[in-house]
Amino acid sequence: MGDLALSAQHVTKVYPGSGGGPPALADLSLDIPTGGIYGLIGRNGAGKTTFVRISATQLALTSGTLTVLGHDVRTEERAIRARIACVPQESRPLYFLTVEEVVHLYLKMRGLPPADARRRTEAALAELSLTEYRRRLVNRLSGGLRRRTLCAMVLASDADVLFLDEPTTGLDPVARREVWQAVRRASREHRTVLLTTHYLDEVEALSGRLALIEQGRLRLEGTPTELRDRVRFPYRVTVRGDVRREALASYGRIAPIDGGYLVFAREAEARELTRWGLERGLRLSMGPVSLEDIFLEVVGKPIDVDDAPLAEEAEA
Amino acid sequence: MTGRHRLRSLGTLVLINGLIPIRTQPLYLVNLVASPLSFLFFISVISHGHLLGYAITGGLILTMLSAGTGLQSDLTHYRHDLKFQDIVVASPVEAPVYVAGMALSELVYSLPGIALFVLLYVLAGYASPLNLATLVGVLLLVWGFATALAFTLATYFQDVRETFMFSPMISLLLTVLPPVYYPLSYLPAWAQFVARFSPTTYAASLVQASVSHVAVPLVTAGLDWGVLGAVTTALFLVAAFKARWKEP
Repeated sequence: MGDLALSAQHVTKVYPGSGGGPPALADLSLDIPTGGIYGLIGRNGAGKTTFVRISATQLALTSGTLTVLGHDVRTEERAIRARIACVPQESRPLYFLTVEEVVHLYLKMRGLPPADARRRTEAALAELSLTEYRRRLVNRLSGGLRRRTLCAMVLASDADVLFLDEPTTGLDPVARREVWQAVRRASREHRTVLLTTHYLDEVEALSGRLALIEQGRLRLEGTPTELRDRVRFPYRVTVRGDVRREALASYGRIAPIDGGYLVFAREAEARELTRWGLERGLRLSMGPVSLEDIFLEVVGKPIDVDDAPLAEEAEA
Repeated sequence: MTGRHRLRSLGTLVLINGLIPIRTQPLYLVNLVASPLSFLFFISVISHGHLLGYAITGGLILTMLSAGTGLQSDLTHYRHDLKFQDIVVASPVEAPVYVAGMALSELVYSLPGIALFVLLYVLAGYASPLNLATLVGVLLLVWGFATALAFTLATYFQDVRETFMFSPMISLLLTVLPPVYYPLSYLPAWAQFVARFSPTTYAASLVQASVSHVAVPLVTAGLDWGVLGAVTTALFLVAAFKARWKEP
């Protein structure tokens, strides 16, 4: 247990008044090692936010056990809260504060000495390119800058485990990468970051390990390489040119794309298909499947298709 | 958290929710004193100055009550719209520190009003050591039960607009209808009975003694203190058991 930042065993969450509907989390077991960035991916309503809120001691669990840094979320909340920080989904900084005040006062509220809070604030603002906005009131900033300010707030803290629930939603690509940089820095300081996101490229770029949740259940868990090894077709081959679908059928699963086909295949079949295509003058590219492909194969729907129950909306 | 950490958290919360918003919008200070001053003006004019003392003590009670009940809007807004409470829950800040910090921060808005009414109280010649001690004790209890009431109510609100509906109702039920701005004896017997269900009736009874220059029997004063203390304690207990720090 000592090496685990978070350990969930058979965690189930049923919201009061959910009227016998499906649980938000169903018998979910998951171990998250200390240090590094752990990604949690899933569609809206999959249960990501519920899991984060239970782990961050904001929400009670219905059954099962969940420990953070070895402390039980049911009985040792105080010990957990002393060592965590959280940017909740859809949270906004207090609008009448300046950017600098949001970070600095948060740190002081956590009990940090003023000099330490000041030093950490300046470092975090610089890290997230917020120094030039430090005296600006938050309500005069764009949504992206507000989100960055919240990220700076928790990244500047002394917490050992950081919960970032969709921290880059609404950010432009440059701002996203600045947040990524700061999150990477936090993980280099031997802190654990639990990151939920809809952006599969984000979790692929940042996370050493990740879990895929769908309808409150854990569907896949591991490093991106391990996840690829677990899917039926770990390679993708795009084939463009004069080719008929029937000719590709024996190589794997086929999906039509603009001007050709995308074939999901095992390694041997992918190599064979590539050789076969090149001999016939087709345009091909071959590589390992992306997280998006894995998600599609496991869940059966793309991550941005939102037809899940409204469990997470209800909890908010 | 050590005691020093708790104090730092408390002070920071007062700064965050009390002093800094006033820097951004100084009119917040006028907001809480507007209603009590309006009552003071009308009651003094209509009574030709006879009920000035009642208008002053009523103004003090209303100001303190508003400092407590005003919390429900802030708490609901912070919890649902900004998710600030979730940020605080997932931090070393303990629930009682948050409660105390938010309550004290709300009191900051009332300080100009309190200062003004206390000044009027002194200038009108009501201030004796005993009267001032009574006034401070009563106002603290009024602030206490109003704060506990606000925390309990805020737990159940899902949208800040719901608080806009409740605040005037609470003011009406606790300060306008009960004999806070006038003597209890002005009411018919049946209304006096109904007024006894409002804790502010007992608060007003205690502070009105100083402005009416009528000696209150010790038993009556004891009953007033007892009821006021019991209501405050009960509302604190309700808040402690019903107000949610962690969602169920």
